[in-house]
Amino acid sequence: MPSNPSMSAAIVAAAESDKIGYIEEGTTALNLHIEAIRNVCAEAGVSPSEIDGVFSTNNSNLLAEYLGIHPKYIDTTAVGGCSFQMHVHHAMAAINAGIIDLAVVSHGEAGYSSRKNQGKGTLGGGGGDPWLPAAQFGGGPYGAWGPPSYYAHALTRHMHQYGSTKEDFANIAVVTREWAGLNPRAVMHSKETNPRGGPITVEDVLESRMIVWPLNILDICLVTDHGGAVLISSAEKARSFKTSPVWIAGAGESQSHADMLEMDDFTATSAHASSQAAYRMAGMGPGDMEMAMIYDSFTVTAGITAEMLGLTARGEGPSLWADGNASPGGKLPVNTNGGGLSFSHSGMYGMMLLVEAYRQLSGTAEDGVHGIEGKQTNAQSAVVNGTGGLLSVTGTLVLTSDV
Amino acid sequence: MADYNKPIPSPDPYVTQPFWDGAKEGKLMLPRCTTCNRVHWYPRILCPHCHSSNIEWFEASGEGFIHTYAVQNRAFGGWADETPYATAYIDLKEGDRMFTALRGVNAEDPTSIKIGARVKIEFEQASEDVFVPYWRVVD
Repeated sequence: MPSNPSMSAAIVAAAESDKIGYIEEGTTALNLHIEAIRNVCAEAGVSPSEIDGVFSTNNSNLLAEYLGIHPKYIDTTAVGGCSFQMHVHHAMAAINAGIIDLAVVSHGEAGYSSRKNQGKGTLGGGGGDPWLPAAQFGGGPYGAWGPPSYYAHALTRHMHQYGSTKEDFANIAVVTREWAGLNPRAVMHSKETNPRGGPITVEDVLESRMIVWPLNILDICLVTDHGGAVLISSAEKARSFKTSPVWIAGAGESQSHADMLEMDDFTATSAHASSQAAYRMAGMGPGDMEMAMIYDSFTVTAGITAEMLGLTARGEGPSLWADGNASPGGKLPVNTNGGGLSFSHSGMYGMMLLVEAYRQLSGTAEDGVHGIEGKQTNAQSAVVNGTGGLLSVTGTLVLTSDV
Repeated sequence: MADYNKPIPSPDPYVTQPFWDGAKEGKLMLPRCTTCNRVHWYPRILCPHCHSSNIEWFEASGEGFIHTYAVQNRAFGGWADETPYATAYIDLKEGDRMFTALRGVNAEDPTSIKIGARVKIEFEQASEDVFVPYWRVVD
């Protein structure tokens, strides 16, 4: 029997690109990657040449070339925003198998700058294949232009099936903005960081511009520039860095479909399966989690995922955020950076979940973040979930710390 | 046809052609596995239920029900002129599900559209060879 890989590896550092958010002078995806990798290595006190595994959604080979390194393990899993949770899973497996000792998981995405640069600087590939099933029979022929066009259908079905309301989901955005108010790096921290920043109410969400009913614009994530990277070490070396380890207690991944055309249940995702796998590996359950980082590309993504992670009953996902329970000072801190809704979201948000979970659990969150020195929650355990594609693929991690 | 200004699907001659041939004649052709007798959508060379390659095409009723829907208030190209308009996933009477833009609904009032409402298929000629399926609410 293979051994349980739980705790065989740890995230030992996490960092971002020099700037994040709406970078007015512009940048490229490649620069965001490299800044984040440089910063994470400096934080941990290692040289990029010590990295022997490179994990990213695309261009892992280019990143290695750029850094002048020759990795023993190269992974380009690219299935949307959850890819980074899966990279951590894969890196842990490679470390547990004895193939590598130190992996970097990197993300760079110029979601904002690419608009002014006419699509250049994205590390993006060519056009789609018009014979793909989803190109013939999915949203394109009917004017669906991006994730909001599709995700809205899930919220409609949830409201129909469970009697949930737009107000219930809008409150997720309101609570998430409360956390952004404590994080000066959040795009929507305050009127100083953005004219539309600062606290919002449920009414503000409901009265904001309708994009795809039932999703108003404040139900929808930001589209920013963002780079991030984490280093993953073998357990043996995990305490040899300047930074402290956050242990990978559990990891799991799953998918229900690729195109929404094949989504059987519009009120459920594979986060149930991926979190069950992660909890099982960790020997822990949802009740043991002291904070949660839940992918919030849309309020509906977060609400449904809360159910899938076992944090609420089926049909009651938004209740996780009710009554201040997920707010600063609440029972279960959720999306403590301000989320994809109010912190930063470049298109694929999974890296931001990892960086924030590391900072909270390690106690190495930089001074000033959230206005409090060091650690802002007392959490020593976190469930970290990424959702990719059209509610399609999920990766879930259970992380723990002993600091 | 000449004024069809929306994206036109590109039929795949190896797998999906029978659907598009049927569409030209106003018929909804669906693939069905003759091993497990289940309908699947989109068309495949392998049944997603039992993994048999014994697949036949048959003419379906063209009837279904709204499974869920949304109203697109923002769109691009030819669809920009149509906003707001409703899109929906349709539960086919014979099984499985298709995506569409809904006809016969008031998208200005999203809550007037009802999940479970009966719909029928119709086809609009978009080019010489391609007729695009749409679904219309009939009650």
